[in-house]
Amino acid sequence: MSGSGPAVRVSIESSCEKQVQEVSLDGMETYVPPLSMSQNLAKLAQRIDFGQGSDSDEEGAETEPRDSQEWGKQEPEEDEATVKFQPSLWPWDSVRNNLRSSLTEMCVLYDVLSVVKEKKYMALDPVSQDPSAGKTPQVFQLISKKKSLATAAQLLLKGADKLSKSVAENQENRRQRDFNSELLRLRSQWKLRKVGDKILGDLSYRSAGSLFPHAGTFEVIKNTDIDLDKKLPEDYCPLNVQIPSDLEGSAYIKVSIQKQAPDIGDLGTVSLFRRQPKAKAGTQPWHVKLEAAQNVLLCKEIFAQLSREAVQIKSQIPHIVVKNQIISQPFPGLQLSISLCHSTGEKKNQRASPEKPKPDDHLYVLEHNLHQLMREFHKQTLSSIVMPHPASAPFGHKRQRMAGPMAYDKAEISNLQQNEGLLEKIIKQAKHIFLRSRTARTIDSLASRIEDPQIQAHWSNINDVYESSVKVLITSQGYEQICKSIQLQLNIGVEQIRVVHRDGRVITLSHQEQELQDFLLSQMSQHQVHAVQQLAKVMGWHVLSFSNHVGLGSVESIGNASAITVASSNGEYAISVRNGPESGCKVLVQFPRSQSKELPKSDVIQDGKWNHLRGPYKEVHWSKMEGRNFVYKMELLMAALTPCP
Amino acid sequence: MEAPPVSVLPITGGTINMMEYLLQGSVLDQALESLLHRLRGLCDNMEPETFADHELVYLLKGQQGNPFLLRARRSLSHPTVPWHLRYLGQPEVGDKSRHALVRNCVDVAASHSLPDFLNEMGFRMDHEFVAKGHIFRRGVLKVVVSKLSRILVPGNTENTEPLSLSYLVELSVLAPAGQDTMSEDMRSFAEQLKPLVHLEKIDPKRHM
Repeated sequence: MSGSGPAVRVSIESSCEKQVQEVSLDGMETYVPPLSMSQNLAKLAQRIDFGQGSDSDEEGAETEPRDSQEWGKQEPEEDEATVKFQPSLWPWDSVRNNLRSSLTEMCVLYDVLSVVKEKKYMALDPVSQDPSAGKTPQVFQLISKKKSLATAAQLLLKGADKLSKSVAENQENRRQRDFNSELLRLRSQWKLRKVGDKILGDLSYRSAGSLFPHAGTFEVIKNTDIDLDKKLPEDYCPLNVQIPSDLEGSAYIKVSIQKQAPDIGDLGTVSLFRRQPKAKAGTQPWHVKLEAAQNVLLCKEIFAQLSREAVQIKSQIPHIVVKNQIISQPFPGLQLSISLCHSTGEKKNQRASPEKPKPDDHLYVLEHNLHQLMREFHKQTLSSIVMPHPASAPFGHKRQRMAGPMAYDKAEISNLQQNEGLLEKIIKQAKHIFLRSRTARTIDSLASRIEDPQIQAHWSNINDVYESSVKVLITSQGYEQICKSIQLQLNIGVEQIRVVHRDGRVITLSHQEQELQDFLLSQMSQHQVHAVQQLAKVMGWHVLSFSNHVGLGSVESIGNASAITVASSNGEYAISVRNGPESGCKVLVQFPRSQSKELPKSDVIQDGKWNHLRGPYKEVHWSKMEGRNFVYKMELLMAALTPCP
Repeated sequence: MEAPPVSVLPITGGTINMMEYLLQGSVLDQALESLLHRLRGLCDNMEPETFADHELVYLLKGQQGNPFLLRARRSLSHPTVPWHLRYLGQPEVGDKSRHALVRNCVDVAASHSLPDFLNEMGFRMDHEFVAKGHIFRRGVLKVVVSKLSRILVPGNTENTEPLSLSYLVELSVLAPAGQDTMSEDMRSFAEQLKPLVHLEKIDPKRHM
């Protein structure tokens, strides 16, 4: 363009002033670090308004404004995406573009204005307004818009229809496939077979070796009582199982030991019941149902076996079988009851049990053992020692088959057969558990009651069902290293307790609680005297006499009294101790003749040296003596009587 | 001195009067694997048991027409196990609707001197064969799948040749006399093996 004045140079420079971020206390200024090229580009790109494209392209396309807007939105997204991949643009590009476009606009405007002003090559002419031509285009536009909208809507409706139909079909298919996939899952865990058009299954333990006559068949049915329109419930399962009516609900076997009930006529059904255990989140309802039914079947089998044995086996005290309870007496005054608690769980209005169930009444260990023993019995019927060789022989234990050819007699044959049934085993285990707990209680009560000497019990971790062992140490506090002569190893069996002493004696105690208590008390009293003996060794005193069971003095009702006499190193003093479990301890000190005042002067003894011999005894008030336990007191006494060098 | 009078009464109790219920069938060699798989699934869950037996059949020819037959069987895979002596009576002619063959059966275990003993008693060995195969059990049911082989040289059990290209399948139950519930269980079990093998009541008399 022709400019009248001199050319104006436009120089553009950015203000390189950096922004001050912070001014520290000593005047130092920290600047904000300037943006890098890519950061700058990103900042500029964010400023681009993609909603407003260049207007010259879009003035004609007014028939489908909506679509173009949608597409226009899509395009800038693509553009944005592509923009990111372009190499970093010259930062003034947008400025240049804007300047150029404004230059174009200015040129056009100048041209238009020059045309208007000069009228040399072109002239402006007004255009006549046709009112009718204005209206029909609008109506035409409306109609065309309506038509296009209707076609679009029709397409969409058709598509939606198809979609909903396919979704419904899918759901139906899924339900159909769900039944099959559920059936597959069921079959992977339970035995199924097809009989006619019914699918039956077997939940008994027959294939695992049980000989219980219950068939245990369940039926698999399809769950079709579901409304397609309604929403499917959370726990919907397309498969349902129907279990035999006598296996419904849940059951367990309860084993408990109580003091003998005085009134035997009060027996009846044992009170139930604890709440049903909640199933895990991932398990199917049929699995829960089948497992519960299988458990009921196993409990019934166990109880049937126990009651059969209770009736058949002859024992000294007969077992009583009443309804669902088996009662037997392991020890006099004690009652063991095994009962089958089966609740169908349907009735909500069950009578509340008359007495509150005691939480520690259950012997869970024995219940678990019953299950294990039953399964072991199952396994035995399946073991390969039952299989006949040669193949035509009947089933049976291979050792029994030798009975004929080897000419076994009755004793050998009865040895082959198992003579201990399930009930006997459980009763033995119950006896052992009871004996063990009573022994522990005895030892603990003694330990808490008597402080001097102390009892320590070390129970071994590894036990048998019929045997446990505990090591009992009797010590004095503070003198454990010196006085450790009483160490007892108790082996608790089914009916007896065997005690092995450190000195090699073996004593067998019966199940009576009193025997063990008396024995421990007598050992404690012996310990005191042993402790004096050990202490004498340490203190340098000589043991003059020692007896575990003295025959003099009053007779003790529990055990025997023990006594010891020790003399000091220079022989001047002597201490005599007599300790009995009931009579307690008696300590006497013997003084040299020179120190006692009661001795009459006599003409017989003239030499002064006889005054150094020991003379009369004097009793010590032991209870008034200082010291926290017997051995400590004894040590103080010995120390007091030992002369200083 | 006279022997004290002893009243002789037939022994009726115990395991003497047992009845054997039997169903038999056969499969070709190619179908053996699938049959074994099926049996493994249907029968009790145990390790598969194979056997190898040598059976000798002894006859006692009396004055009457019918000879008395005894079967002596020993195990080749377990040589120390006692021999098994078996007597099988005539099949009971009961109602035709009974599904299995029922006959009286007496089983006795014997020591290793059994062949000599039978020879001394007057029995003569009629024929012998070797049976090898598998044995399954399901409760009291016994399924025996065996391959019978002919012995070429008498007394030599190593040298054998199979009698046929198929395996003999036998389903049997031993039950005391009077219990008739077994045949139903056997029939339902045989139904489950149906397409693989057809177990049916085969009357030995008809094929003699």
